[in-house]
Amino acid sequence: MVKLKIDRKDIAKMAEELKTKGYSYLVKITAVDYEKTLEVIYIFRDMRGNKEETLEVELDPADAWVPTLIGEFGAADWYEREMSEMFGIEIKGRNAERLLLEKWNGKAAPLRKNFTWNAPYETSD
Amino acid sequence: MTTRINIGPVHPSTHGVLRLVAEIDGDTVVNLEPHIGFLHRGVEKLVETRMYMQSPPYMEKLDYIAPMSYDEAYVATVEKAMGVEVKERAMWVRTVLLELQRIASHLLWLGTMANDVGQFFTVFMWCFKDRDLVLRLLQEASGARMFYVNMRIGGLIRDLPPGFEDRAREVLDYLDKQVKTYADFLERNPIFMERMKGVGVMSKEMAVDLGVTGPVLRGSGISYDVRKDNPYYVYEKLNFQTQVRSEGDCFARYRVRMLELRESIRLVRDALAKMPAGDAIGMPVKLILPNAKNRIVSVSRELPRGECMMYMVADPQKPYRLAIRSPTFINLAALRHISRGCRTADIFAILGSLDVVMGDCDR
Repeated sequence: MVKLKIDRKDIAKMAEELKTKGYSYLVKITAVDYEKTLEVIYIFRDMRGNKEETLEVELDPADAWVPTLIGEFGAADWYEREMSEMFGIEIKGRNAERLLLEKWNGKAAPLRKNFTWNAPYETSD
Repeated sequence: MTTRINIGPVHPSTHGVLRLVAEIDGDTVVNLEPHIGFLHRGVEKLVETRMYMQSPPYMEKLDYIAPMSYDEAYVATVEKAMGVEVKERAMWVRTVLLELQRIASHLLWLGTMANDVGQFFTVFMWCFKDRDLVLRLLQEASGARMFYVNMRIGGLIRDLPPGFEDRAREVLDYLDKQVKTYADFLERNPIFMERMKGVGVMSKEMAVDLGVTGPVLRGSGISYDVRKDNPYYVYEKLNFQTQVRSEGDCFARYRVRMLELRESIRLVRDALAKMPAGDAIGMPVKLILPNAKNRIVSVSRELPRGECMMYMVADPQKPYRLAIRSPTFINLAALRHISRGCRTADIFAILGSLDVVMGDCDR
């Protein structure tokens, strides 16, 4: 598995490049909260040779946003929405949509490490 | 003029707690939006607070139709993080159990799928009865009927009981016949065929773009099976074929699963014949385990519903972060795209052919 650390500006460009190289299958988009930084992980696969490539993007938790990949990969749709709700990472370049998984107000980021358990949250509907 | 209709969240055909909002024009679906999250239990967060071997029961409740597969995927991830080798016989026993679990899962799917397209409860009852035979085998091997929790680091909680092979062969011979009977029964039925053929077509390009996995992907003509392309345990040494159909409709997905049922039966027979003697018992049940050596590990497994990938950032004694790529989640995301333009009643044929389990989808 090849790993590449890239800047968030280059995601769309890199994804496109990988797609032309044959990495046309998006396996997963997820994130890890390392407290000082947030890391967004994109895993792509070339199905013919069964090769995988991972892109890692480091973010500042206070200014967490990444551009969308929905134009290049249809699979990015729900992965991005899920990650966005769970980590409070804004996805730029796509329309505001209803919350996918959360039934709260969408302001909590439950998978961040500073999430407080049992805190009261307003429900959205 | 379009009409919006609400289906669910509690509806017999949604296979769990799933709400669908369909926008229809006459009888044609213009847009379909799945609303998920009703079974979201925050398992990914929960495991961060538990020691490694406290989590398998949670993993099993994700996909309650095929619990052992998820359990195994998680334990394999922990093993990889710790750098523990699985015992030779344990690999064979796990393969047998996982394939039996796949048979049980596919049988339940077949029953519910037939229900969805109008074969009301006939096939369902047959499949349920047959699934019970498989569950009985799994119970013999693990001690529980539904939630097994029989994986341990490096092996299993117990070896196969004496006489298991013969009983398993008996059940497999019976199932082989039954699966043929079901296929005959369904494929000679004009109603079933009409509702399946040419419905919910997903092209090859679409399948790759939407990232669907498992039988759904293989039903669209892409030959990708983790067991074959990225083999784990003893799948390399066993005799089986990846089942692919190129049509991409509901019938192709149905066909792939039916053929997989037979392949699984072959696999179990083959594995039982080649299985070596030895020790299959894993590490004792303890909370404190050897420290994890590898920081970031990822493991891919072919579950009955598709590919599951566990991406784990490991702390010494518990997961720092566990990201689960669940097959149902991404297969369900495709529903909106493939049901556009179909008839209202076909929504459930398509949903059934995707084989969703909402616990797995929402996590």
